Amino acid sequence: MRTGKIIGNVWAERKVEELRGCLLHVVQPINADGSKSGKPLVVADPRNIAGKGDVIVYVTSTDATQAFDTGVAPVNASVVELVDSIF
Amino acid sequence: MFIARVKKVVTATEKHPAYTAKRIYVVKPVYPDGRDKGENNEWVAMDYVGADVGDIVVCGGAPGVASEVFGLERAPIRTLIMAIVDRIDYTEWN
Repeated sequence: MRTGKIIGNVWAERKVEELRGCLLHVVQPINADGSKSGKPLVVADPRNIAGKGDVIVYVTSTDATQAFDTGVAPVNASVVELVDSIF
Repeated sequence: MFIARVKKVVTATEKHPAYTAKRIYVVKPVYPDGRDKGENNEWVAMDYVGADVGDIVVCGGAPGVASEVFGLERAPIRTLIMAIVDRIDYTEWN
């Protein structure tokens, strides 16, 4: 899991069934102090809990599919928490 | 698995149900002597052993491990804090 900041959205009308109703964000990985850490990536948000400008925790690889209620989705990264604060 | 130092606490209200009532930390990988292992190298890890900020810990995990240890059907959790390090015996080599 890593922290990231949502810097944009991806809109796609035609997508696989599992991603219906699921937002796709462009996320810049960040360090706890807010500095950039690596290149941006696209992260799925199965519960639609975050929006542009929010700091989130996302999970990558196989565990990203577990964020979906069905447990199956062709994703590589998913939002799991909307961060209130890091102290 | 990797050795890391617990840096900060992450708090959140909106979260995946698997994260309810669990503590998560920002951890930073370190060398056995305690030096930071590179810049821009921070991870978020879920506590499983009662670690606190400043502790040196062992982190790790694999797909499916978290759902098994927490007894959850779905657990989008990758990195677990699995041990608090008391001491590391090691030999420097090049």
